[in-house]
Amino acid sequence: MEGIVFAILAASLATVLSGIGSAKGVGGAAQTAMGVLSEDSSMFGKMLVLTLLPGTQGLYGFIVGFLIMINCGVLGGEVPTLMQGLAYVAASLAIGIGGMISGFAQGKASVAGISMCAKDESNFSKAMVSITLVEIYALLAFIVSLLMVISIPGIKM
Amino acid sequence: MKRVRIIALNTDRKRILEHLQNSSLVEIQHIEQPEEGYSRIDTASQLQQFERNSQLMTQASKILDKVSPEKKSLLDAFRGKREVEPEDIGKIAAGSPKVIGICGKICDLEKQRADYAAERVRIRTLMAQLEPWSGLDIPMNTADTASTAVFIGTFPKMFDDITLSEALAQEDETLIFDHEIFFSSVNLTCAVIYAPKTQKEQAENVLRTLGFTRPLNPTSRTPSEKISRLKKKDDELVKKISQATEGLKKYVKYRAMISDTKDYYMLRSDKYRVISELDESEHTFILYGYIPEEDCDQLEELCLRIADCIVEFSEPGDDAPVKLKNNKFAEPAESIVTMYSPPSKDDVDPTPILAFFFYFFFGMMFSDAGYGLVMVIATTIALKVFKPDKSMRNNLKLFQYCGIATIFWGLVFGSIFGDAPAVFYKLFTGKEITMAQMLPWPVLDTQKDALTIMILSIGLGLVHVLVGMGCKFYVCMKQKKYAEAFFDTGLWMTMLIGFAVLAAGMATLPVLVTVGAGIAIASAVGLVLTQGRAKKGFFGKLIGGVASLYDITSYISDLLSYSRLLALGLTTGVMAQVFNMLSTLMGTNVIGILFMIVIFIAGHLITIGLNALGSYVHTMRLQYVEMFSKFYEGGGRKFEPFAVRCDNFKMKNSNEM
Repeated sequence: MEGIVFAILAASLATVLSGIGSAKGVGGAAQTAMGVLSEDSSMFGKMLVLTLLPGTQGLYGFIVGFLIMINCGVLGGEVPTLMQGLAYVAASLAIGIGGMISGFAQGKASVAGISMCAKDESNFSKAMVSITLVEIYALLAFIVSLLMVISIPGIKM
Repeated sequence: MKRVRIIALNTDRKRILEHLQNSSLVEIQHIEQPEEGYSRIDTASQLQQFERNSQLMTQASKILDKVSPEKKSLLDAFRGKREVEPEDIGKIAAGSPKVIGICGKICDLEKQRADYAAERVRIRTLMAQLEPWSGLDIPMNTADTASTAVFIGTFPKMFDDITLSEALAQEDETLIFDHEIFFSSVNLTCAVIYAPKTQKEQAENVLRTLGFTRPLNPTSRTPSEKISRLKKKDDELVKKISQATEGLKKYVKYRAMISDTKDYYMLRSDKYRVISELDESEHTFILYGYIPEEDCDQLEELCLRIADCIVEFSEPGDDAPVKLKNNKFAEPAESIVTMYSPPSKDDVDPTPILAFFFYFFFGMMFSDAGYGLVMVIATTIALKVFKPDKSMRNNLKLFQYCGIATIFWGLVFGSIFGDAPAVFYKLFTGKEITMAQMLPWPVLDTQKDALTIMILSIGLGLVHVLVGMGCKFYVCMKQKKYAEAFFDTGLWMTMLIGFAVLAAGMATLPVLVTVGAGIAIASAVGLVLTQGRAKKGFFGKLIGGVASLYDITSYISDLLSYSRLLALGLTTGVMAQVFNMLSTLMGTNVIGILFMIVIFIAGHLITIGLNALGSYVHTMRLQYVEMFSKFYEGGGRKFEPFAVRCDNFKMKNSNEM
């Protein structure tokens, strides 16, 4: 029964930590994008894309959090044991920390990409691809968290 | 691509250029120096004139937009440009002097308006300065009377009656004075000081030490009188401004005409820029250009029909531009290739391969039959209703094909607006059911079968990378670089295949493990033997060969990168699931159903927006970083023909770019 506290903690950690990363990343990028838009509002579409790129980390964290809730008795599934609850916490740290720090990094890359795109719009696709280079680390963290979370209910602890 | 040379008489120059511009068949080649015996025409002054005119018109349109903003819907962005005939351009040209006049008047009116507005600002400042003095009943510049000195001005400090007397008395006890305070705030006090004329100098000294200053431009009227005069002036200005605005509004109906004429001047400056590139002699001119091979006959026929001229085709040089040519299936993906970089002359056109994988991977990441259907329907309607221009049409088609792939993968993953059918079935019947049970075919559940899908993703990634390397192999063979083809590309391909067989063997047949390991080891030995071939000496070659094996890390990271196919597919599915769950929270009563409809639509729109963007970006990355890096050089130049290129209209029946 005690496991559920930890499972809930795990869901929060996954969502919040990666959310912090995305919030900071998107926030910085949005500030820069608005600076560009104040000069030339026709670039809104491109700026929107570049601004949103660091936003995915929060989404991954949210999905891990949601899957934990589905598995651990909050939204369905069985109530985990104490060890299983701790295992959820351990699993959520991958996307939590990975998402947060890659969010910071991707935010910085986004800011640079936006400045580059502001100088010459034809650089847009290069900026976009360069920014997504950071994303792979969030994705790897997400997949690791995810594989662990979906297999924890099956492991007897 | 062919190089073309057209030689014709100067008298036909205008006609030929106009037809070339309208048909957009030829890209004009820029050559630095004219040929021996020929000269160039300087068109700088005409160009400047056109530039001035089009600037005037841009300015006028902007002013009109400010006065009465044009109503534009977001969907207009899809709408194609108006089609015009060559005669219509003639009509616009005939109307251009009138339009220039109108634009001049618009700019004049706007200038008046700006002047009035500036004047109003000045008057308001004056009024604000006089406001504190409104209680004063003598003119601001009142001079001394026969026996009394009058000081009207301000102190940079807050005083009231008592503190002011104290401050004055403290400075000079002998000074006799009287004062009136009209206004007082934190760091400003407006006051009048009276002193006997005999003590004028003394009083001045005292006031100076207290920081007293007289107003800069004292008027000969009382402040209240002055304020009311200013107010009257201000009202007049307001009236004048609104008159000017009304005047401007009368011109709003010319808006379309102004922007058409602006485009006309853009066309003319394009044409004059071409004229300055022509080699001209006394009676003839020569035009050099590039033309796609399939259009050669059309050009020759056109030129010979309209003028006496010679049209010659020859093989293009190294700096020839590239025009991508693909079938209907691949054409929409051309923009993705061009965004990276058009192919150089050594490259194969990667569009067909890219198109297939682009649609396929996009579908796998977006992976929802419902969303795919929305995409297909929306793009089909947009294509039918708006008749968009070629580039927009291709973009819409790109998403249409992506939508079809999305439907396919949605059905494979058993996802139709997430798990909406199962959720609603449960809501209305109370019976639990999963999507897998509802659908008659076996589905891959993104959550339960995550590992299977991950292996599938990496497997597809391997195919993608191998196709990329296959292209490299093909390009090298074509250029007869056999060593590069077999050693640098072929051996790595067999190595990757060996690993794939080995991995497959681990899951199924043990005999495949041996086979796979054999292929991989043989390839590795081959690489060690061949990769150091450029180095000198036995050890140099050996070290070079062994070091090249380190490249395996880059192949592994490339393949792992395809795990994003799983991650993004899962993201779409789970987000849709979350919104489905939220939408059913309020039950099946009337309010619950309304709530459900709102949340369902809004939620799925959010999911579509976020995940379509993610899928688009990540598919693109897989193409650019993982596949293009294997074979594609890029660095070519896009074919940009001399054409009617403007904001509002396009030529009917021209080769659209």
